[in-house]
Amino acid sequence: MGPQLSWYLALSAILFTIGVVGVIIKRNVIAMFMCIELMLNAVNLTFVAFSSFFQDVTGQLFVFIVMTVAAAEAAVGLGIIITIFRNRESLDVDDASILKL
Amino acid sequence: MDWNNPFIHSLLVIVAITTAFLAIMLLVAATVLAERRVLAFIQGRLGPNRVGYGGVLQPFADFIKTMMKEDLVPDQSTRFVFLLAPVIAVVTAIMAIIVYPFGPTITVPFLGWTFPLVIARFDVALLYVLGVTSVGVYGIALAGWSSNNKYSLMGGLRSSAQMISYELALGLSLIGVILICGTLDIYNIVEQQSGWFGMQWNILYQPLGFILYLIAAIAETNRVPFDLPEAETELVAGFHTEYSSIKFLLFFNAEYINMITVSVLATTLFWGGWNVPFAEYLFGRGTFLFALVSVLGFFIKIMLFLFFYIWLRGTLPRFRFDQLMDFGWKFLLPAAILNIILTATFVFLTTG
Amino acid sequence: MTTILFIIFAGLAIGCAIAMVSQSNPLYSAISLIGVFIALASLYVTLAAPFIAAVQVIVYAGAIMVLVIFVIMLLNVEHSEPRRKRLKFLVPVAIGMAAILIAETAFILYSVQTSANRLPGNISDIGLTHSIGEGLFTRYLLPFEVTSVLLLMAIVGAMSLARRTTVLSATARVVPGAQVLAMDTVNPRAVGDHTAVETETTDEAAHLLGVDFQSDRSQEE
Repeated sequence: MGPQLSWYLALSAILFTIGVVGVIIKRNVIAMFMCIELMLNAVNLTFVAFSSFFQDVTGQLFVFIVMTVAAAEAAVGLGIIITIFRNRESLDVDDASILKL
Repeated sequence: MDWNNPFIHSLLVIVAITTAFLAIMLLVAATVLAERRVLAFIQGRLGPNRVGYGGVLQPFADFIKTMMKEDLVPDQSTRFVFLLAPVIAVVTAIMAIIVYPFGPTITVPFLGWTFPLVIARFDVALLYVLGVTSVGVYGIALAGWSSNNKYSLMGGLRSSAQMISYELALGLSLIGVILICGTLDIYNIVEQQSGWFGMQWNILYQPLGFILYLIAAIAETNRVPFDLPEAETELVAGFHTEYSSIKFLLFFNAEYINMITVSVLATTLFWGGWNVPFAEYLFGRGTFLFALVSVLGFFIKIMLFLFFYIWLRGTLPRFRFDQLMDFGWKFLLPAAILNIILTATFVFLTTG
Repeated sequence: MTTILFIIFAGLAIGCAIAMVSQSNPLYSAISLIGVFIALASLYVTLAAPFIAAVQVIVYAGAIMVLVIFVIMLLNVEHSEPRRKRLKFLVPVAIGMAAILIAETAFILYSVQTSANRLPGNISDIGLTHSIGEGLFTRYLLPFEVTSVLLLMAIVGAMSLARRTTVLSATARVVPGAQVLAMDTVNPRAVGDHTAVETETTDEAAHLLGVDFQSDRSQEE
């Protein structure tokens, strides 16, 4: 019988939800960033599952583009995190919640 | 032989994996011995020749000695990562073995089975090897961090920075081969080099690509002349300072298996893999003798590359770290891109 | 057979994801996230998408997470202190919202029973490299080119963010190598003048600042 499409969608939803919980709970900026990457991956899984079940390559191409955008976002995001750390000496988002140093 | 029966198929794959793993472990032992002897000859001395005839049992003696050493774990909180790092390094090194094309399709004489002499043949084999090497960087970075030692941390970070910089040049230098052969499947690439009586090797089409690949791969495996992160803080050995006994052996093993992977890729992608010139003419394709000669040819080519590695170690001084990074980013990367442009133009003009 | 593989890899992915969210040490979170990525790559292989699986390992597990681990190691992040009192309510709120989200998803999946029941057969060839290449370079060429420009923007942005732009004061020791000094540290009469004075070597900088760099080092020995 094999795994159905709905199983893959359910797994993707669970991973996305865990990512959302992580973003809300975590205080470390880098950990929040990693939870965002987890959310992106959950969406990638949805795309690939649909592409496979409907035999259309477009889903996988979009995953390719999403991965590239995630890589670009990682580079710039980590640059921002380093700058925040240099200016505020702390990686806590609660310390970075107002604009004043 | 019913290949579609999953149990028989799995059993045969397990047999293949065990055989290949044992063969590669023997090759690693031989390389350890060869390194010490050849390096000694280059330096004008003899090297270990007492254990067994001419020193053949030396690697096993080393193994027993290292196993008996005390196994230290530094007393700090990242113990899990300390134990995980050598495991990652050696597992990712061994995972690359499944795509080695040892030989052509053979027909076992009395039983009539036919199968290609490779553990796993799939469409994205070359990307798989690149991916596995990328994950191998973690072994070194985590080892450097978890040793709780500033020298280890700096050595580990430098080593990982070097590896990820040269990974780029490595991947780009392989694109020339992929453009010419039109496939990422390593077994297919070797089969395509069997024209001209087994002499139509890719080195004739991609000389620049081969040189760039070799330089990038030597940097990737952290060998001389690119082994500054291991040897600079030479009294303290870089990222594997705090490792002793079996864990150190695992790193050591991982380095040698990475060397073998690089040599295998160099022979299969550029030097014809298991194609021995005129073997097809002499033995006939598909016979057992042809396969035997091809496998022997493959191993001889690998050993020639390993000898080249050891020769380099005995001959060249090492790069300073900033020279190393400059070389990787400012010379190798543009040269690899130039190679891609030239190859693409060449392919476009000849196939129209 | 694929069902067993799906259950193993899905369990691994969910386990590593929960481990990532619940760890307080960011390095362990990063390692768990690498586990999630590798589990997802294995799932892509069972979905007959080998190229995407290989690219996932190379890009996500092999490049992005290496960058994250470098940043964690270089910034030397310690364990976080316990959460301040006024924000402690966030944890049960997050878990409650997660439960609602999962319930909604389960409801939708239960009521949409008309999913395509075709198996992701291993015989399909849509995931092979050549079909992805065909799609990427013929029909979806514009997104491909725009993505390359986006990567260029990311490179320039990351480099300009991470550069050190502060100037050194005269009380700082001269650092080895080339450096940029502010005019008011070089010339004490030009107060408030922040134009950049570039020096190529240590000795040049030492000479400009009036610091005797060589004797500083010999005093240390």
